[in-house]
Amino acid sequence: MAAAEQQPPAVDGGKVDITEELLRGQLYPEAAPEEFRALRAKMGGLLQSIASADMDLNQLEAFLTAQTKKQGGITSDQAAVIAKFWKNHRVKIHESLVNQSCWDNVLKNMNWRVDLKSQSRHVDQINTPVAIVEMELGKYGQESEFLCLEFDEAKVSQMLKKLTEIEESMTALTQTT
Amino acid sequence: MAAGSVVLLTRALEALDVGGAADKINLIPQDFFAELRLQTSGIEVNVGDLAKITNTVSFLFSTAARNNLSTEELITALGSTVNTLPKHAIQVIRHVWNEQGKSVGVSEDKGNMSTVGQFVDIKWKLGVAMSSDTCRSLKYPYVTVALKVADSSGQITNKCFEMTVPQFKNFFRQFKEMAAVLETV
Repeated sequence: MAAAEQQPPAVDGGKVDITEELLRGQLYPEAAPEEFRALRAKMGGLLQSIASADMDLNQLEAFLTAQTKKQGGITSDQAAVIAKFWKNHRVKIHESLVNQSCWDNVLKNMNWRVDLKSQSRHVDQINTPVAIVEMELGKYGQESEFLCLEFDEAKVSQMLKKLTEIEESMTALTQTT
Repeated sequence: MAAGSVVLLTRALEALDVGGAADKINLIPQDFFAELRLQTSGIEVNVGDLAKITNTVSFLFSTAARNNLSTEELITALGSTVNTLPKHAIQVIRHVWNEQGKSVGVSEDKGNMSTVGQFVDIKWKLGVAMSSDTCRSLKYPYVTVALKVADSSGQITNKCFEMTVPQFKNFFRQFKEMAAVLETV
């Protein structure tokens, strides 16, 4: 069976309800359901292995070559299509897998503005600039909590100092891996 | 609450002389009315009347939104106004409110209310997610932060969240921009 020229339908974080019948009708209307099921299972399995290992190009080539040599494996045309698909979608698929494994709160959005305090109980705060930051926190796919915080110049400096520490740790980490 | 809202809307409509506008609405084709677009239709409606109709319709929908009226409640209120609107106008209002009503309704859900507070401190932890049941080779670094926040009563709470490297870079960049603006103000 010739390899499909079209890209498979985009999968939205694994939540898309695409039936096998829909795919067969779209891609291989002349194929028998059994034949299509086998093809789909084979291709799906290969992509799952590739995505799970987050293969780079070398690993991908070695993997696909081995598959073409196997009994009941894939044709070199099919290998070419799979390779093209993975090259085009690797980053997005990996990002989706990363997000799926994050079950804590994330920072979904952040907005800020700077105000001038014109009235205050404390005289020394008149005409001091203050940053108002709104953070949208929540788990992926769930309702958000909106957190609104005030930062004066000193607090922003304090924040920047801590963020610099984080950045240094991150750099050290990515240099050693 | 529902019955009261219907009465409120009815009174509002009567006060706005919907009856007067109703006569003009008869002149406007259904589609045009539904979209409230100012297109030339070859019909003699002067600007003043059009403004009145537009005002009435927006008042109608905004009152319905503020009182969270269902489509039935809205149509009931219209039905009891003195000069009943023509049937096709009611159909259009029903259709528009069915489609758009939920999105303009004012929500009383407290889920979205902002918590206002003072930033006190930030604690952080850097980790690497190696592997998961869906992906054996995740290998992504992420930072977990705990923001220490004081609310208006002085109570301290910790707000925790995770950031991937790109998310963190963006977070850092925003605060640098903030510092720059604070300096210049």
